[in-house]
Amino acid sequence: MRIGIPHWGHAYLTVEALAQKLGGGGNELIIPPPTSQRTLDLGVKYSPVEACLPFKLTLGNLIEACELGADTLIHGRGAGICRLGYYVKGQEQIIRDLGYDAHFVTLDVSQHKFRSIMHLIKDLSNNAPWPKVISAFFFAMGKLFALDKMDKVVHKMRAVELEKGRTNQIHREAIKAISEAKTDREVKKTTGEYIKTLSQVPKDPTADPVKVNIAGEIFVVLDPFANMDIEMELGKLGVEVERTMSLSRWAKYGLFLNHLGINEWKEVHEAAMPYLKRNVGGDGWESVGEKVVHAREGYDGMVHLAPFTCMPEIVAQNIMPSTKEDIPVLTILCDEQMARPGMITRVEAFVDLLKFRRKRRGK
Amino acid sequence: MIKVGIPRALLYYQYYPGWKTFFEAMGVEAVVSPPTNKAIFTKGNSRAVAETCLPVKLFFGHVIFLADKCDYMFIPVMRSLGGKAYHCSKFVGLPDMTKALVPECPPILDPEIDLTEGRHRLRHIIHTLGRHFSSDKGKIETAAEEAEKAHLAFRKDMSDRGITPVQALDELCQSEKESDLGLDAATILSIAVIGHPYVVYDDYVNHRFISRLQDMGAKVLTPEMAAQEDLDFAMKKLVGNPHWSFEADIIGAGEHYLGAEVDGIITVAVFGCGPDSMMIDMVRHRARECKIPFLHISLDEHTSDGGLVTRLEAFLDMVKRRKRVCA
Repeated sequence: MRIGIPHWGHAYLTVEALAQKLGGGGNELIIPPPTSQRTLDLGVKYSPVEACLPFKLTLGNLIEACELGADTLIHGRGAGICRLGYYVKGQEQIIRDLGYDAHFVTLDVSQHKFRSIMHLIKDLSNNAPWPKVISAFFFAMGKLFALDKMDKVVHKMRAVELEKGRTNQIHREAIKAISEAKTDREVKKTTGEYIKTLSQVPKDPTADPVKVNIAGEIFVVLDPFANMDIEMELGKLGVEVERTMSLSRWAKYGLFLNHLGINEWKEVHEAAMPYLKRNVGGDGWESVGEKVVHAREGYDGMVHLAPFTCMPEIVAQNIMPSTKEDIPVLTILCDEQMARPGMITRVEAFVDLLKFRRKRRGK
Repeated sequence: MIKVGIPRALLYYQYYPGWKTFFEAMGVEAVVSPPTNKAIFTKGNSRAVAETCLPVKLFFGHVIFLADKCDYMFIPVMRSLGGKAYHCSKFVGLPDMTKALVPECPPILDPEIDLTEGRHRLRHIIHTLGRHFSSDKGKIETAAEEAEKAHLAFRKDMSDRGITPVQALDELCQSEKESDLGLDAATILSIAVIGHPYVVYDDYVNHRFISRLQDMGAKVLTPEMAAQEDLDFAMKKLVGNPHWSFEADIIGAGEHYLGAEVDGIITVAVFGCGPDSMMIDMVRHRARECKIPFLHISLDEHTSDGGLVTRLEAFLDMVKRRKRVCA
């Protein structure tokens, strides 16, 4: 079997780590080239025109994986309200029509996630023994947590660094080092070292960054290609970014703690209650709640990311302006028509507004 | 008498007879907004975020129309009708969006229908709804039973007689309007029109799509004109278990009519419809495999009907010629 996966932020590093630990037993992991304009073009060309951006991007990735000879494709599947549940049905047909002989293996991301992931790993590694599967899984998780921990520091440092771009440079090195780490201990050590280096980056003593929360649909929030590296652009403008969502958080709660009855979104859902009483699928409920929570916490603004025509986020978008807790929200819709300069102009104007607002309030 | 407002939009076309029966049995008057007109269209459009799909914007327009004409607004939350199939997010968020966008709206009745939680839970929800009007449990129970009967009879009536919901509803409301949708012997082409009832039957949105087709000499077949079991069967055959509650009405209907060898198939959807963006592609794919002419019409806020008419004419011309050549 030659196994292909779609890209989603740095999720591929986790899969790579799994493959590295398990060896695969004759199976080969094919990681398609990083999402590029070509990926998007392929996705757009073969997708239904009104499909959402994550559908098009992941389709592009899978086609590129097929070009490299993948015959088994992994994709997420959910029994929820959003379109995700239909991805596999749609993409399977498109890939078959293109003449590739590939079949899909799905990963249930809404129910029985842990069991589903474990069995998937076991099957794809040609029935590796359970202890090996579990230790590989935790090794991969370790990398995921390390990367997200690094992200948090980077979000803070970008806004205050003296020499612009220094943080990004270290961050790139760190990602490379973590992806190359061979053992749990090495991952921990590398992470610690890089976090130390990052926190020693010279800071601008006069910096007083505005604080912005990023929320919205989880795929576009976590995929830098889909959102045009908005975190980095905000960082360049001297904005401290806070993002609640992350892959490691999803894994930690979705795979383990939710089963113990712990809901990581409890506070956010409660905050959303007066305005949106129920789960509308996807991340719509969370978006409304995050606005309320961050307004209460004194954030300067919120950037709300959603794929164009995303149903749950449209519900959130309609409701958000009416909340009593008021902070400026910039909604950015991501699709194949989006261009970087357009996004940057809007973000710049938004940040100016936030700075002005803060100055006026300070007086 | 207490008045409950029912917007003539979205689920109205599928469930109105049941709702009306329930409210009347409870001794409540059901007030329905008029068919979509320019004022409703403009008002609804002005409130919602631009990206919202047209039928939902219209829904707000209808709510605004009814706001000062009733004591309660009835906006049920359709989450799931069983299995692992769900309605679109916007149906679930409707009451909350209405509250945010139409602050003048009277108190909202928002029973949450989720059949995955079992019939017992449904009964509880209906009782909670009924208690707004009466504390008599027996009365609520009877009203609910009658409503269910009315709904099933309405659905069966449409498929038995091959009529559209609008015709069936007109008869139900004893409207004098003479419908001209009857089966004319002179019609030569059978065209299946696939789409959500709130798009296919809202004449303002679709620019009198169906009557235009009929004027051009086509016999129009819509999903409601087939029995629900046939639609379910056709859908199961093609895609297995549904992901959306209305999958049988789109994919199932497409497959059913393709199997019945119609002369052409037209899908109608609004721009930005999430579920349709995926489902219509399936129908298109199947139509190509069956070698049956296929046309997709995407509707939005544009009010000009010129483009639509041209496309319909061209499509029918093509279907006619094809039929002549193949015959």
